[in-house]
Amino acid sequence: MRSIEKSALRLVWVAVVLAQAAAFGQASSSAAHGDVLIKNAMVMTVTHGNITNGAIYIKDGKIAAVGADIHAPDGAAVIDADGKYVTPGIVDSHSHIALDDDINEATSPITPQMMMKDAFDYQDKAIYRALAGGVTTSLLLHGSANMIGGQAVVIKHKYGTSRDEMLFPNAPRSIKFASGENPKRVYGARDQLPSTRMGNFAVQREALVQAQEYMREWDNYNEKVKRGDKDATPPKHDLKLEALADVLRGKLMVQIHIYRADEMLTEIAMAKEFGYKIRAFHHALEAYKVPEKLAAENIAIATFADWWGYKQEAWDAIPWNAVMAMRKGVRVAIKSDSEDYTRRLNQEAAKTMRYGGATEEEALKMITLNAAWIVGVDDRVGSIDVGKDADIVIWNGYPLSSYGVPEKVLIDGEVYFDRSLPGLGTTHYKEGK
Amino acid sequence: MRTSAISHQLSAKCRFLALLGMALFIVMGWALAQERPVVLKGGKLLTITHGVIENGTLVMQGGKITSVGAADSVTVPGGAQIVDVTGMTVYPGLIDSETNLGLTEILVERMTNDLVEMSDEIMPHMHTAEAFHAESTLIPVARMNGITNAVVAPSSEDTLPGQDSFIQLAGASATEMLLIRDNAMPLNFTGEERRNKGGFEKQKFPATRMGLAAQLRQTFVDAQDYKAKWADYDHKKTDAARDKKPEPLAPKRDLKLEALVPYLEGKKTIVLAAESPSDLETAVNLANEFKLKFVLNHISHSQPVLDYVGKLMVPVIVGPIYEAPRPEERYDTVYSLPAQLYQRGVKIAFASYSAHEVRNLPYQAGYATAFGLPHEEALKAITINPAEIWGVADRLGSLDTGKTANVVVANGDPLDVKTDVKKVFVEGREVPMTSRQVWLRDQYSK
Repeated sequence: MRSIEKSALRLVWVAVVLAQAAAFGQASSSAAHGDVLIKNAMVMTVTHGNITNGAIYIKDGKIAAVGADIHAPDGAAVIDADGKYVTPGIVDSHSHIALDDDINEATSPITPQMMMKDAFDYQDKAIYRALAGGVTTSLLLHGSANMIGGQAVVIKHKYGTSRDEMLFPNAPRSIKFASGENPKRVYGARDQLPSTRMGNFAVQREALVQAQEYMREWDNYNEKVKRGDKDATPPKHDLKLEALADVLRGKLMVQIHIYRADEMLTEIAMAKEFGYKIRAFHHALEAYKVPEKLAAENIAIATFADWWGYKQEAWDAIPWNAVMAMRKGVRVAIKSDSEDYTRRLNQEAAKTMRYGGATEEEALKMITLNAAWIVGVDDRVGSIDVGKDADIVIWNGYPLSSYGVPEKVLIDGEVYFDRSLPGLGTTHYKEGK
Repeated sequence: MRTSAISHQLSAKCRFLALLGMALFIVMGWALAQERPVVLKGGKLLTITHGVIENGTLVMQGGKITSVGAADSVTVPGGAQIVDVTGMTVYPGLIDSETNLGLTEILVERMTNDLVEMSDEIMPHMHTAEAFHAESTLIPVARMNGITNAVVAPSSEDTLPGQDSFIQLAGASATEMLLIRDNAMPLNFTGEERRNKGGFEKQKFPATRMGLAAQLRQTFVDAQDYKAKWADYDHKKTDAARDKKPEPLAPKRDLKLEALVPYLEGKKTIVLAAESPSDLETAVNLANEFKLKFVLNHISHSQPVLDYVGKLMVPVIVGPIYEAPRPEERYDTVYSLPAQLYQRGVKIAFASYSAHEVRNLPYQAGYATAFGLPHEEALKAITINPAEIWGVADRLGSLDTGKTANVVVANGDPLDVKTDVKKVFVEGREVPMTSRQVWLRDQYSK
């Protein structure tokens, strides 16, 4: 980049910061700040193709206009993205960062009452490093030691703000289930249940049966109260069963860690037995063996591009999994499950173009819109469409390659990362703050 | 009983996997040399040593590259198989400077792993060549992406975990694939080797960096003494023969110390691993104390002393660049390390430091270019640079006449994630583009 351009960008950044400063002190955590116009970019919208020499007008943290011929009002901060690529912010639909390794309460195989939010370490530098790789939203999930690990948290990577500002506002609740080797390894090593796949599913079924009974007790009690029974005694509030009852009520989206195709079929049968929906199978390295079954249930997968062989149940993993499943109608996301890979999910998505021939848009969708669907926030992020949150990455080169690197990352219309800045390149985070 | 039943099942499973791997791997008649000349015509040749030749022709004969140049300047031998590679990119087989290939199948299944001995930190008499599993299912997976040669190292839990091998990723058996046994020896000094550090009640020697260094120093001193003892014996034996006196008594052999002698003599390369500046300097001082010939490994967090590294005038196996920066470091601190070393004139090579992810080696080189390393240098760091570092530049690492015909044909830039490798030649013969993964894909594509 020429130095003149560089200082112009710096000025734009200053403008954005000043606008932010003006808005500082407002109670709302939503982005109340100046307007921004990103212009002269190759805009990869994900939903309606690429716009050469396109522009995005951002107002109040939302995308207000996108197209080839956009005019912003005077006073809007202008980012001239000449010759650069612009994509929606990346959504990582399976991450364990910012939890200081507190991801498994491995003292019981059923711990649905564990709230990831209670362990969320909003200062973890991993959030910043993912941001610098273009990630703007992550689903922070429990580990897979337990058959039912707990409830996830959805964050926006607004590094340098407060804990509450980083929580994705009103994101749907997700719960993490697991299966296969991990629970049986953890509890089997202690000679406890479960130590087999039979044990795994028995533990899961038992917990769901308890939840059904719990719901029945409360229904009975509520019925008595309704009838005017003054002597009715309420059942005990049990957070564990309450959470499982919410699974049965369809209030929690079920995200299942799973590898083998046979287990996917068992989980589908279990969901039918108890009447809940499965949102996504995570890892799902054998989805290519039963894609029609997943598509029929509208179960998405959050998978790796090419990881394999690290354990027995990952032995049949193949890099064509994502595209083979997609071609049979499965909604596919590429996720990181890793502090490392979350920094370069664009390259992982690009691998699907090579292995199976995903189109550019399909590949990009796997780390944006499809991932957002798994998280349940696809109406708000994951594409460059009017009305969506202005979570945007400006890349210095073609993002679906080994070479594209984010230059700026905006969340809710504000720049949170700017590669041209000294130090960490963060706009909000200050060392030692 | 329960445990043994499980391990029984496991080993049965492993045998099955091994057999399956073998079935897919063995190439009928591989032991035979290349019979018919092969000509790759019309491709873009990345020669590495003498630039890029657009519309070039490359001839492979008798397992070697016999001609390479512009299409109109190369004579095509009679009876040759002509392969039209118009629109394709042709480059030398890639070299991965540290892998665990052939030492593992499934990482969490202990019986499939032969990665490192954990009984002692000093294990120089371990030879990866003796555990190398030629029929590993992982090898075709790596090879299909154009990696034709690799260093096989033990994993890095010990300071001296044993000796590396330099392999070719195709061959009739381990014998053909192990191009050089004991080509180098890792010396790890990253702090991670302090497995006895525990609490005071659990500490065993060596528990600290001081302990590790002292243990290493004592080992090399012992090896020096051992070498002197044998030199003395040889001397006395010669004298005795000359004077027709009875032979002197030979010293007792010590395999650990014996393994170290070629390294003390500077005949073989020590791969010196450190991460942070202080460990790096301690390790370098130790190596210099015993006049070891060394290359550096990792140095992912040594940015403050890169000028010092430059002055050492030794190559660096760098990375992996995906190593997380320290909390206080900028996000791209490690990504940009290869570029910074290159700017200081350091010869660099990349390594996957992996077994399952070997196929992704070129993308690490690609990503380093996104952070300042020239593309040409990135390509060298997985071809000619490692060939030079591992002493095989006379036969590998570039498209040059006389070199082994390890040649890759792909539909584009070797460093880009989207590029599809179409053909791989090892010693002039086309390797079937198949692996267990391809087999599975095809089973479920019907």
